[in-house]
Amino acid sequence: MVAGRPVKRRVHLCHIDELPDGGSRGFDPLCAGQDTMFVVRSGDRVRAWRDACPHINGAPMPWRKDAYLNAARDRIVCAAHGAQFDIETGLCVLGPCVGQRLEPLEITSMCGALYVELAAA
Amino acid sequence: MNIIGPDSLLFGVDDVDACTRYLCDYGLEPVGVTAAGGAFEALDGTSVIIRHKDDAGLPPALGTASMLRKTVYGVADGATLAAVGAELRRDREVRTLGDGSLECVDDMGFVIGFQVTVRRTLDLPGERINAPGAPAQRPANRVAVDENAVIRPRTLSHVVYFVPDAAAAEAFYLRLGFRCTDRFLGAGPFLRPAGSLDHHCLFLIQTPPFMKGCEHFTFHLGGPTELMQAGTRFVNRGYQSFWGPGRHKFGSNWFWYFNSPLSCHVEYDADMDLHDESWTAREVPISADASQLFLFAHREKWSPGGP
Repeated sequence: MVAGRPVKRRVHLCHIDELPDGGSRGFDPLCAGQDTMFVVRSGDRVRAWRDACPHINGAPMPWRKDAYLNAARDRIVCAAHGAQFDIETGLCVLGPCVGQRLEPLEITSMCGALYVELAAA
Repeated sequence: MNIIGPDSLLFGVDDVDACTRYLCDYGLEPVGVTAAGGAFEALDGTSVIIRHKDDAGLPPALGTASMLRKTVYGVADGATLAAVGAELRRDREVRTLGDGSLECVDDMGFVIGFQVTVRRTLDLPGERINAPGAPAQRPANRVAVDENAVIRPRTLSHVVYFVPDAAAAEAFYLRLGFRCTDRFLGAGPFLRPAGSLDHHCLFLIQTPPFMKGCEHFTFHLGGPTELMQAGTRFVNRGYQSFWGPGRHKFGSNWFWYFNSPLSCHVEYDADMDLHDESWTAREVPISADASQLFLFAHREKWSPGGP
């Protein structure tokens, strides 16, 4: 390990065409047994977040597999207590963790293939 | 006052279609459900009712992320309804609605209603087990496991509120004849109305004001096996387990909590303790250890295979 450069682990997620535009999808990149992160696609932009509500440490957010958004698809919602998050910034704008943020994850795209950059264990 | 327990919970939701699918898959029976919402009933007629959040007929929202709009309690008879109304009119406005029910606001700002209960009397066996030393509950050749068992929630058990002042909230319900059965220090009381022996139909959790709302609601199932089987089916349909399965200490009820599109957790519950006036409430600081006897987590079916 080079000092000052954290080692990362790159894990393939899917091709961007497999993501519905305006939709969300959960992933389990480290085979934890359930989804630990999710992505939201807006056109060519894909944002990724840890599937963990800031309100309760580690609490999973969807109400159903891949269901991380409200009906209008313009807010991320935690289905534990209805906390709403800005889809651009991950900032909680309503709910038990108002003012706190989702933890963003870095996404790399190569020829449409999406990878998440995770800190190596 | 002979208040029995919650007859229905009314929610103003963001996604009616998602909630409809969710509540049907949970096991409730849709009654009069359209794209605008409707009722989802347990076997005894108790229910969750959803409408779109912009429906003009809904009571006002709590001003938080919570979608709960109203809790309607069932009472034994017209005399109880009159007594509840008389007590509440001492210090607040109580409206009589077109269906004869009463509506007001509790001291924390939750809209509540009272009606002569809709609950139908159930006549169903509970889970039957055989244990050495005890009379057999299933006779010879009566098989317990049914992979295709139809599992329907039996009755709306309880609702849990996040409240900004648990002591004041408790005092209000004590006025209506509720009693504290047990208390988590640092959270709040489990409350039992006079018309039910169930350990609680209302649990109050002290939180900051911006969290005010519903933490969860749950329906009673027929026993632990129904809870495990229904919860497993729910997971297999893609729903997100939050906590459980396990068994609580206070109330002894089995639990399995799931995320939901109703802005609160939804629980499967079974085998709750009953208490009467001779019970003395316990008090313990809230903690993971205090809140459960044991806790499991779902995993995919697995077996050690062949020899």
